[in-house]
This record gives sequence, structure tokens and C-alpha cells, in this order.
Amino acid sequence: MTAPSIEVQDLSKNYNRGRPALEGASFRYEGSGAIGYLGPNGAGKTTTLKLLTGLLRPSRGSARVNDVDVLRDHKRALADVGAIIESPEPYPSQTVAEAIDMAGEFRAGRTGDLAAEIGELNTQLDLPPLGARCGTLSKGQRQRVSIAASLVRDPRVIILDEPTSGLDPKERILIRNLLNEKKRDHLILMSSHLMQEVTEICDQVIFINEGQIVLRDSVESVANRFQTRAVDVEFATPVMVDRIRGLGAQVGEVRVVGERRFRISFDGQPTTRAEILRGLVGLGPVLSYQSASLALEDAYLSLITSDTNGAPRG
Amino acid sequence: MDVDRLPSDLEQWGTAVRRQLRFYLKTWRFLGLLLFVVIVGAASTVVTIYYHSSGTSASDAMYSGTTGIGIFGVIVGAFIGGDAIAMDFGSGTGYFMLVLPVRRVVLLLGRFAAAFLVSLALIGVFYAYTLLGAGWFYGLALPWLDTGASIGMAALFLLAILAVAFLFSSFFRSPAVSMVVTILVLFLGFDIVDGILVLTSIEPWFSILYAGGAIANIFESQPHLIVTQTMGPRGLSIHSWSPYVWEGIAIMVGYFVICLALSAFIYQRKESKG
Repeated sequence: MTAPSIEVQDLSKNYNRGRPALEGASFRYEGSGAIGYLGPNGAGKTTTLKLLTGLLRPSRGSARVNDVDVLRDHKRALADVGAIIESPEPYPSQTVAEAIDMAGEFRAGRTGDLAAEIGELNTQLDLPPLGARCGTLSKGQRQRVSIAASLVRDPRVIILDEPTSGLDPKERILIRNLLNEKKRDHLILMSSHLMQEVTEICDQVIFINEGQIVLRDSVESVANRFQTRAVDVEFATPVMVDRIRGLGAQVGEVRVVGERRFRISFDGQPTTRAEILRGLVGLGPVLSYQSASLALEDAYLSLITSDTNGAPRG
Repeated sequence: MDVDRLPSDLEQWGTAVRRQLRFYLKTWRFLGLLLFVVIVGAASTVVTIYYHSSGTSASDAMYSGTTGIGIFGVIVGAFIGGDAIAMDFGSGTGYFMLVLPVRRVVLLLGRFAAAFLVSLALIGVFYAYTLLGAGWFYGLALPWLDTGASIGMAALFLLAILAVAFLFSSFFRSPAVSMVVTILVLFLGFDIVDGILVLTSIEPWFSILYAGGAIANIFESQPHLIVTQTMGPRGLSIHSWSPYVWEGIAIMVGYFVICLALSAFIYQRKESKG
């Protein structure tokens, strides 16, 4: 069996005469792991995922899953794919078990112990009662049923469009843990707005803005590249901001961000960071000293506010 | 997952039929239609028995009883098939179904078969009442062969009506709009066109409702009737036709094949936007 793969080549989509929703996107991932697909609303994330699952037809280019063109052979391309796009809804009259069972039957017929598999998914995802009708479920419950339906029969490629949208923190943790487990031997492509979620699940990341891929790299590389050149410090006792500014030339801009808390810009060098800490300790008891924010968040903000940041690498 | 386990199109069609049947049988729409058919069929039978309006022969009785089948077929077909495709584009159901590894044409044919079976069952209730009414007067000496042929024609009529309903359903994204438009077109649209044609001396051989007349005409000894009436001071001629059985079959097959093929084509290409 070949390794699972997702590939788009020069993929473009025009909905109408306006700006293309997606323009010339190209990337290929093979093997296992999780890829985060990030961008603001309307950037083209969902369009890409819809093209990868055959819900849209490309204006140009191709989308292939497991080396099968989605447009030419939808059935074979999606044979080993579980997908959550937008807000899927099982038939309202179906029970939870029937909805998951139906997805499993379409993927692999009545072979194997489908009931046992549904039981396992029930444990993993804390599903609503299996006999409950889908039409009576809350949005979060329906989302978990849809996730279970996308995972039944264990497809090796998992495509998720903001999978934790509408879920409460407990449900998010469930999904995060499940995806972290799945990514060991599955290929996951997920769009998300939640940087924390992407940081915790994904190994690779794609940034898209205004229909174009602006950066594609490993989460680690992006974190290094966009590492915040600022630290947050918190003192146990009040400290005058001017005293921090007076620590020396290595200290850049200093902002008051809370009671006894400050954000200090510097050149990003580890030695400078250590030097600043030495100076701060002399000003008063330091409670905490850490990087100012999530690197991915900085990258995201930097890339979507400037068209020139990060060359397209697709 | 082992891709070799992917079921064949035929197996998936069977899955689609079973799942869609379960879906229909659980809906209020089906229960409402069943209630409607049971009540109207019972009332019609009681009236026939009470007023002895059973004609002069068993065939007459069956003819009278089955003339309403066309209208019932339209109601049932429109309500059952009116949102069959739109439901995938106006709600989240499509995002659940269309990302599964199954060809859309297989899904469509599965839904069509399920809609047909459900509709046929409902029309079957009406036939049961008609047989009961005719049997009340003529016992078991009924035109069984013609009744079988009439049921076959009714089945063909349902195939044609459902194909039209599926086609209209493929034009819209909202299931509610799709169903309303389908009902309006099948009920009012065809009826208006038929009404106009009566005045223009053109045989409405392209009307599905006209073809439906063949369901009852099977029981007639003179199946193809052209009745011309002259009305009003200016002598306006009004023609009304009844189709030959073969004519009815040809029209129904035409609607079935063309509309189903078109709806499959549109469904295959329709995108999940928005």
C-alpha cells in the first residue's frame, strides 16, 4: 500500500468575475503527519478543501488524493478519505449510530465489525447516545457525530475544515487528542483559525491569503522565522518603567501591558535576552519572563497584513 | 483503510436505496401522504358504493376508480421527489453525503429507486380501494389482466413524474423552494398548458398529465377518444383527447429517460458553494 498523499497543482477557482477565490495553489504532502491550513476568512481555505473533496470543480489545475484525480474519479480518490467540510449534517431522522454506520457502509460495505468500530469511536469522541436522532442534537454534538462518520473505517487521509468550530473546550481537547494520535499514521490536512490548536497538532503549516499561498513550511521553521523579538516580564512588586528603559542599549521599546507587567523589545538574540533578564532581576523580584506571544500568531498577522511578506512557495 | 474494500457501484446503490427508504419512511411527509391516500381512497370507495356509481361493467368500475390515479401520482411524486437533489445543496446534508466515496449518479439512482418504491406503495393503497369498490359490485369477476397492466402504467407514470420532480429539484438549492416549484409546475403548469391546448385543437402529446390518462384508458374498449364539443354563440370548438395506451407509454418513457438523464447530469456538475 502506497503512502497517503494530498496534492494540488496550479489549483484555481473563480466563482464569478471578481477576484479568484483560489489562484495557482500548489503543494504535495505524502506520508503521515498533520498540516495546518491557515488564513483569514475568505482567504481560500475552504475552497481548497472543497476542491480536494470534489464539492467544487476547479477553474484550472488539479486536485489529487492518493494520486487519484478528484475530478476524474471522485469515488476512487475519496476511497480512503474522511472529510469534514463546513457544517455537515446527517439526515435529521437518522440516529447517531445509523449516520456513522451509513458512512462506514459506503466506504467499505458491511465487512468487518462496524458496530465495534462505532463503539470505539463513541468512547474516543464521547458521542451523544447512539440511539438519539441527529435532528435533536446540538451543533457541537452533530459536529462530533460528523467527525465520527468521517473517521469510521479508518481512512488514511483526513481533511478537516475548522473541525473544532462550535465545540466547547472539553470537546476541543477530545478532538485534539484524537488528531494527535491519528497523525502518527494518517495524513491530516486541517484548516483552523485557532493558532493554539494548530501549534499543538500540526507539524507543517500553509498560510493562504487572498487566494494565494504565501508561506509553506514546518511549524518549527515558521516559529523560528517569525519568533517574536519581545519578552513579557512580570514583577512581584511595582517597578517604574523608566528604570527598565534605563537598563541599557540592548533594551528596545518598553510597553506597560498590565499591573507590574511589561513587554520589552530587543534584537532577538539569546545573549541579549539573558542580559536583559540579569538587569531586570536587579530591579525587583521577577515572577515570570517569557516570549511575548505565539510564534504562529505573529507569522499569521505578519503574513496577512503584508502581501510581500513571505514568498509564495507552492 | 484497505481501498480494495471499497464496495462496487451496485452495492453502494443498494445501500443508497435502503438508507433512503428508511429516511422516507420516518418522515412526516410520508405519513401525511399515507393518511391522505387512505382517507381520500376510503371516502371515494364509500361514495361509489353508496351511490352505486360503478358503471355497467367491472371494467367501467375500474375505469372510474383509476381516473384519479394521475392526480394522486402527481401529488405523491412531487412531495416525495421534490427535494431529492436540492437537499444536498440547501442544508448540511450534502457536506455529509457528497464527501463519501460514492458516485453522485449512484446516489441519485438509489434515491430515485427509494422514492419510486415509496410512491408505488402509496399508489398501491389507492388501487386496493379501487379493487374493493369494484369488487363490492362484481365480486372477483374483475378485469385482472387489465388491472395488472394499469398498475404497470401507473408505475411508469410514477417513474416519469419522479424524474420530472428530480429534475426540478436539481435546479434549486433550497429544498422547500424546490418542492413548492415542483408541485406548482406539475399541478398548475401542465394543467394550464393542457387547458390552453384544448382550445387550440392541438393534441397535448407532450404533456405528462395527458399521458397519465392511459392508466384508466386501459379499461376502455375504445381507448383513443377525440371528443369535440361546440360551445357559445360563436360556435367555439373544444377538443379533448384520451391517449392510446402505446402513446401514453411513449410519452412517459420519454419524460422518464430525458428528465432523469438531465437531473443526473446537473447533479453531477452541481457545486456546493457558499
